[in-house]
This record gives sequence, structure tokens and C-alpha cells, in this order.
Amino acid sequence: MSIHASSLSAQPAPTPSGGLRLPGDPGTRLTDSRGARRAGRVLAATLLGAWFVAPLLPLALWAFADRWSFPSVLPTAWGTSGVESAIAQGAVPALWRSIALGLVVAAIATPLGAMAARALTLGTVRWPRIVGLILLAPVALPPFAAVMGLNVVLLRAYVPPLVGLVLVLVVIALPYTTFAMRVAYAAHDVRYEEEARTLGASPWRVLWLVHIPLVAPALARAAFLAFLVGWSDYVVTVIIGGGAVVSLPLVIASSAAGIGNDSTVAILSLAAVVPPLALLAVLAFAGRPRTHAQRVAFAEVHPGSHPIRVALARPHPAEPGAR
Amino acid sequence: MTSHLLLSDVSKQFSHDQAPALDAVTLDVAAGSCTAILGPSGSGKSTILRVMAGLDPVSSGQVFVDGVDVGGLAPERRGMGMVFQRPLLFPHLSVLDNVAFADRVAGTGRAAGRRNAERYLEMVQLGGYGRRSVRELSGGQEQRVAIARALAARPRVLLLDEPFSALDPELRADMHRLIDEIRAAISPTIVLVTHDRDEASAVADHIAVLHEGELLQHDTVDAIYNRPRSLRVSRLMGGLNEVPGEVIGGAHVSAMGAVPLDDARRTPDGRATLVVRQEALAVRATDDVHPALPGVTEFAGVVAGIRHLGPRRLLTIALAGGAVELSAELPPGQAVGVGSPVGVTLPRAVVSTVPD
Repeated sequence: MSIHASSLSAQPAPTPSGGLRLPGDPGTRLTDSRGARRAGRVLAATLLGAWFVAPLLPLALWAFADRWSFPSVLPTAWGTSGVESAIAQGAVPALWRSIALGLVVAAIATPLGAMAARALTLGTVRWPRIVGLILLAPVALPPFAAVMGLNVVLLRAYVPPLVGLVLVLVVIALPYTTFAMRVAYAAHDVRYEEEARTLGASPWRVLWLVHIPLVAPALARAAFLAFLVGWSDYVVTVIIGGGAVVSLPLVIASSAAGIGNDSTVAILSLAAVVPPLALLAVLAFAGRPRTHAQRVAFAEVHPGSHPIRVALARPHPAEPGAR
Repeated sequence: MTSHLLLSDVSKQFSHDQAPALDAVTLDVAAGSCTAILGPSGSGKSTILRVMAGLDPVSSGQVFVDGVDVGGLAPERRGMGMVFQRPLLFPHLSVLDNVAFADRVAGTGRAAGRRNAERYLEMVQLGGYGRRSVRELSGGQEQRVAIARALAARPRVLLLDEPFSALDPELRADMHRLIDEIRAAISPTIVLVTHDRDEASAVADHIAVLHEGELLQHDTVDAIYNRPRSLRVSRLMGGLNEVPGEVIGGAHVSAMGAVPLDDARRTPDGRATLVVRQEALAVRATDDVHPALPGVTEFAGVVAGIRHLGPRRLLTIALAGGAVELSAELPPGQAVGVGSPVGVTLPRAVVSTVPD
């Protein structure tokens, strides 16, 4: 069955040179700032870093401070009383409840947002602008006012507090998941799916084998945003949940309302910060290309990273060994 | 892989307030043949392919494969392989797994599917590329893998939707050779959509000319070029010469004079336009030492304009005192300039008429 043609040799394509530096690459004279510009760039980066780290530093110190009297720069007595107090106040089950709430909201809002985004992007929805605005409404409305109104409706409809809580949080998360997925679907080519159909795949198999893998990075981003909505919510959990769900933000708030709980509040706050940061790190590392080939591919789907190197990585067809 | 495809009276209308994308198209594609569907942008070329593949439903009409109406079948059950202009290789799969995709969804074991895929990769000259990421391939290699993937599904008909239009000319010529080799090896029925006349004639044995959803002519490559059924076909195929006149007793009579016609190439007596390819005209400088061949009618004219087409020149020749203008391609070597007197011969075998 094989075909032999002298004009069509099939030598492996040459591996792109890893050591070659091109104009426009980071570190070359074209992009490297010098002198005052460089100093300004470093200063701006340092200030930005400090902006993010500054709030966490006192938290980290307070978390393990049994006493920190003014005007000492560092805690005057170190200890774990904050941790013990946080555990005693139910921080651990609250942490699990918040994780569960975030995961449930993400599990529901992500596919819903993806479906809405796909319908809006592919033009299968009538009046897509209006539908888009309606989906955006939960972000625009003052949450307290909306939740108070919804609470009355849910109570009248005999909706259990936990179900009502998830329902409302999903609605709040939908704008984020929808718009994260709209960006992905705007760049998505449905002909991948059509190609898979002509290759014999049923719609269901196309979904699992082609569609979801192609939009997986965007799905992960959308799910992360939805998780954050469930994870960090306070207002909805208090009003709609009606005390049925004591999540981590509720424990933090009640602890922060007291006096002399600084180390407990610090520990609880750190507990609230770590899981999203860990998730973010997982997302960032999972999406990073590992091999050289993946890096080239990554550069290609993220235009602007190394445009000239990507062009060079693709052997010209006329080059020996290109085909 | 070799099936007979028939479109019977197929129409496709996307909305009621728009003209139909396909208007009662009947197209018969013989098993093992390669038909190029040629037409300008918006003529319905891609729509006809999507209708064949089942990606778009027909508004009316039927699609038969080997005599069986496949109109009600989903794309995955039609057995139509499709290669788009973009290779659309699945980026999360390796080259080998892309080619093995059809076997995977068909439930074939992974090892058997990959073995089969390797055979098709060898067929497109990419044996040994299986473990690569699809992102490591050049544009031509990607399109080869896309063709291998479609062939690995063992389609009854292979549909190619402008698959080479994004490639440079050299690579495109390579791909044309590849199609020839695939045809020689497994004789698949191929329907190729293109807007490139040269590509259509290089790859296909039949050409179907589509214009505004209407199938104007479906014929052999030679007939489409030299015996167009209408002025629209002649123009779409790049024909430049149209001489209005009248068919009288086996000859076309116009201001230029009488041009004898073959019986098979002429319309009944009456008003008709003579068409002849500019590449088919023989032009001779009249001061040439070689006289016109005996028995050949030569028309005297004057070169009115010259345009360069690479090494060749396209002459505009005024005949009958400027009443008729003909275009003729001139190979390199002949010394003619604007104003040169020339003799133009219209070979009988390539002259035809179309009714007005």
C-alpha cells in the first residue's frame, strides 16, 4: 500500500535550535530596557510584588504569635494558641464545608457557563446581546439587595436552605464561567468536531474525545472562578443558608468580630488564602509546556511569545528534510 | 473506499430571504473518479461538500452512495472522509493517534489502530512521524497527516475542501502528486473543492463548475476547457475569446470571417458565440519566412497590446479592422511588438460555439 516517490522524502524535521537568540527574544537588545528605564521597571516590579505580599506578611506573623505588643516590630511571644483556638472554633469542618461548597458550585456553574457561552458564541441564541446582559446581571446587582429579595422567594417556595444556597451561588458564578468560556469559544473552531464526526465519532464521543480536551484549559479557568465564588462567599451563605452551612468565611467573620482574637483570625485568614493559591499554582503548572516541542506549540497558540522562533521551528517545505 | 456518489436535485437554502446556496444540483460522481468542484467564492462549493458529508442537511433532493439514499444518516454513519482547508489535527493527540482516531472510535484495539495508522502515515510519506506532536509538523506535513487520517477511516468517498489553498505553490505541486499516488494505490472516489483552475485540472479527471449554487457543467477536464456549454463556464474557466456571430452550415460566421466547426462542437444554425482558448490560438508574424500551413484558415490581424505572463506573453490582436479582438498566448521566442501584423489560426479541434 505504500507509495514511493523520489520527490517526497520523509526525513524528520530538524529540531529547532535551542540556543539561537533572535531580535525580539527576551534578553536581547531590542526588548531589554537599559539605564533609567531598567531601574524604573525593577522598581515597579518590586512595588507590585510588595503590594501582593504586604497583607500576607503580618498575617503570617500573627498566626504564630501568642503576644505582639506595640511598638515591637516582631511578635513578643511565639506560639500555637491561634491554631488551637481556630480548631476549637470549628475551622477544620468549616474549611471542608467551604471546599465542598466551592467544588459543588464549580461543578454546576462550569458546564452551565460553557453551554451558555457556546450557544452565545455560535449564534444559536436569539438576541445574544440581551441574553449576555442578563447573564452579566448578577455581577452588576448589589449582592445584598438581590439576596434579600431572593431569600423571600426561596422561603415562599419551600426551597431547602442548602439547595437555595447552591442555587444562588451558581447564579452568581455563571457570569464568570460564561465569560471565561466565551473567550475560549471565540477562538474555538467547531470544524474540529465536524471532522471528528466524519471520522466516525458520535456526538457523545466527539464531546469527550475532542470538544472537552480542546477547551480544557478554559474549563479549568472557569471552574477556578466558580470555585472562588463558593469558597469566598459570606453574604449568601449567611442570608440564604440561614446558618445551615457554617463555611470558613463565616467562622472568620465571627472570630474577627471579637476582640483579642488576632492570631486566630490570622490563622483562619491564611487557611482561606492557601487553597485558592494552591489551585492557582496547580492550574499554572498543569498548563505549562514541559518538553521543547510543547514549548514551541505553546508559543504558537500564545502568539507574541516568540513569533520568529516559532516561524523558524517550522521547517520550510523546500528545505531538505522538511518532508 | 471506491463508491459511486450521486446528488439528485439537491437544493440547500439557509434562510427564506436569501438565494439558495445550492439550486437543484444533480451531480454524478463515478466510483474511483476524482471530480473537482470549481467555482468562485460564494458559489456553494463548500456547501455541496458539507451536504455530501451530512454536516448540513439538504433542503430538498437526495444524496445516494452506491444507490442507497444516505440523506437520513448522521455524518459518522455516512462513510465520507473530509479534509478541510485547515488540517484540524487534534492538538491533544500525537500524529499517530490522530490517524488512529477513526479506529479508536470504531472500537478497534489501540495497538491494531496504531498499526493501521502507521500504514497510512507511510502512504503519505510520513512513516516514523507517529510519535511527534502535531505542532511539530510543517504546513504540508499537517495536511498529509489530515489526508492519512481521513483515509484511515476507509471512507466510501473522500471529500477535500480546498485542502491545499493555504500551501505555497511548490508544496501544492507535491500534494497534487501525492493525490495522484493515492489514486493509483487505492482508487478512492474523490470530490475536491477548489477555486484554482490549475489545481482542478492537475488533480481531477472531471470538473464540475458551480456558480451561484447552480451546476453549470460537469464534464471531463478537456471538455470543460475546450467545449464550454455556456459563456459563463468559458469565463469561469478563464476563457478570454468570445466572438459573436452566427452558425451557418457548419461554420461560424462573424465580422472576422467564416470559421469552420467540428460537428460535435457546434450549436444548431442560428445566433451563437464562438469561444476558443487563448492558449489554443496559433499566432505567426506575417513577415515570418514560414508560410501558413496549406488548408488552414489564417486570419490577418494586428497586435494591439501585450501583457507578460511570466515567460509567455498575452497578445491582444485586432482583426477585421478592430471589429473583433482575440487574445492569444505567445510562447517565448517570437519577435512581435505592438503594431506587428500577425496571422492567427484557430485550430478546428479547439473551436466551439455556445448559443446566445
